[in-house]
Amino acid sequence: MKALQLRYVAAAYPITSKLDEEFKTTASSIQELIKELDDVYGGFLEMFINEESGKLNLNTMIYYGEKSKVPVAVLDIDQAITDGARITFW
Amino acid sequence: MRIRENRVQTVLRVDLSDGSFSKEELPEEWTGKYIGARGITSRLLYDEVKKGTDPYGPENILYIGTGPLDGLPVGMGRLSMACKSPRGTVAEGSAGGFFGPELRRAGYEYLAIKGKSDKPVYLYIENDNIEIRNASHLWGLSTYETDAALRFEIPDPDAQFRYIGPAAENLVHAATIMGNLNSCGGRAGCGEIMGSKKLKAIVVRGHNGIKPHDYDAFVDAYKVFRERVDIKTSRDMWTPVWNTYGAPVLSRLFPDLGNLMTRNAREMTWDAEKAINISSENFMDNYAYKAKACWCCPAPSCQKLYSVPSGKYKGFKGGNYWAGQPIALGSLIDNGNMDLMLVISGLCNQYGLDIFHIGFTLGWAMECFEEGILTKADTEGMELRFGTFDEDALVDLIGKIARKEGFGELLSLGCSEAAKRIGKGSDRFCLSVKGQELEAIAERNLLMVALGVAVSEVGPDHTRWYPPYPCNPSLITKDELSNLGIDLDLRLAFDTRNPAEKGKLLRWFTISRAIVEALPSCVFLVRDTLGLDLRPWWNLFKAATGFDLEYQELLKAGERLMNLDRLFNVREGFGRQDDRVPYRISHEDVPKFGYKKIDDNLLNPMLDEYYASNGWDLDTTVPSFAKLIELDLEDTVEDLWANGIKVK
Repeated sequence: MKALQLRYVAAAYPITSKLDEEFKTTASSIQELIKELDDVYGGFLEMFINEESGKLNLNTMIYYGEKSKVPVAVLDIDQAITDGARITFW
Repeated sequence: MRIRENRVQTVLRVDLSDGSFSKEELPEEWTGKYIGARGITSRLLYDEVKKGTDPYGPENILYIGTGPLDGLPVGMGRLSMACKSPRGTVAEGSAGGFFGPELRRAGYEYLAIKGKSDKPVYLYIENDNIEIRNASHLWGLSTYETDAALRFEIPDPDAQFRYIGPAAENLVHAATIMGNLNSCGGRAGCGEIMGSKKLKAIVVRGHNGIKPHDYDAFVDAYKVFRERVDIKTSRDMWTPVWNTYGAPVLSRLFPDLGNLMTRNAREMTWDAEKAINISSENFMDNYAYKAKACWCCPAPSCQKLYSVPSGKYKGFKGGNYWAGQPIALGSLIDNGNMDLMLVISGLCNQYGLDIFHIGFTLGWAMECFEEGILTKADTEGMELRFGTFDEDALVDLIGKIARKEGFGELLSLGCSEAAKRIGKGSDRFCLSVKGQELEAIAERNLLMVALGVAVSEVGPDHTRWYPPYPCNPSLITKDELSNLGIDLDLRLAFDTRNPAEKGKLLRWFTISRAIVEALPSCVFLVRDTLGLDLRPWWNLFKAATGFDLEYQELLKAGERLMNLDRLFNVREGFGRQDDRVPYRISHEDVPKFGYKKIDDNLLNPMLDEYYASNGWDLDTTVPSFAKLIELDLEDTVEDLWANGIKVK
């Protein structure tokens, strides 16, 4: 089980009604995490993953930061996630 | 009613000294050569405001103009305002709103205002009816009061106004020209020059129509453009953010990235709780009550109107909350109080003050106070410390700056001049270039921004190269880039902390954004692939004007404009020595994030690449003879020689 610091910015905020939260998950990748979040917050998957291509939508952004590191933009939704990571969705 | 074509552009010349005016059609070929707006104001400024002109003298000319696409749905009401800055450089800035289309409907693209009135006046333009009217009753009024008074005096709801507030009347540094209450521009000196001419306002009302030369082609081109910028179809990660919550969302993200200038950029991160307090999300939930867009803009987010819902500022109303406010009036002075920030921002609009002047000058003063350079004896008893300042005293201070009263008089000079006056090494804390304060985007993490800030002819101005990020690489191939005339390794160019390719990247940004501003349109709509592929803009221009311009000629027009700004500055004596970054940026690392200071070792190679790629002399930055010939600017060579400037 991983504990993640999730942050919802701009258009992601109305979907979750939260600015941020600690989220416990067994997801191993960004893609799995998004699917899990979609179960909690309907519309999350549609917002971030393109139905046709299965890739990140080009008009969204996810920043991924491991503990004590400067966050970087996520380019590959299969990117692994680690315990304690801070992930920003917008 | 007359339907105006867009090929020939017209200047209304007004001399406030003797009250005369005249109308002049510009040569038709100028629309192909300089396009419009910023392109034409830069050309007129170079030709008509000679070297050594006293900025506050009658010979300085204030140009306010738009271009061939304004009044059509892509112009976004953009206006270019230009003059010689009080700081000696070219002053040019743009603003949105509704004035530009109305000016065109009145039959003009440009106003060229020279001379000085001996009493306050406003200019009234209704097609061919031009009047210079007494404005003594408006002098001293805030911009909001001026808007209301003019609206009462001229009840026509379609009349459009531009006006100045008390700050510009009092020649306060970086004072702006305002309109539609919260639309501001011209911070490089245009407001001060308008104030020096005792011109309180300009009113315009037109009764003509505007249509594209080829309607069907224009509609086709517009559909392509619209797809690139629309919230549903744009392939740009920022479009949904910008079109809904707006740029202040960055206040929550920037602290993690080391991009948030905090406590006068001594630090580059901030407390998360304060960042949330001044975030877009808080603003939208609790303060915003109406979106307000410029003319035909599909991104109705920039100028949201707000009201403070509770507390001692309850009911305070204002508009325009964008990236500048949470940084300049938030983290920079360590203010995590949204109410206070919106009140200061609103007061800046009412006084006609520039928020960057205010934020960075307050940041400078707070650091000087904490370092013991300024004391309570200087600040009229105010404990001017980051984060712990007296709110009421700070609000009072904004008015004092606009009125040049007490301690406010020192801050009204801007941090650069204020530091010169008090000395004691206080210039180390001044974040300005060419006498103008920085803006919201940090430099040490984004080397292209640092270079852009250093070389900008008008002083720091993000619109010269905004947005500074790439489109998704999958959207454009290397071959396509080559066909578009872009000789760049994009991977290297957008590697933010690698100096390689930054000169060439900035050159491309500067040229392409100059074109967008000359059409005119808004650089905030440079989305999707529009920053690299200018063909949608090109097709709009051709359909609107009927000019069958080659694509390469469009690019050349942008380069011509960029060179004219440089020529104006070199003629005034500016050169490489002035293309610098502020002391803090060049002397202090950001260790927490591993960002290095931008010292000469880092800046000089980027400057060399930028100048060389432009065909400019590496020492003097004067464009080469060959470059001026290539750009059909050979007529400037004789003028430069006559002014003792060597063109190699």
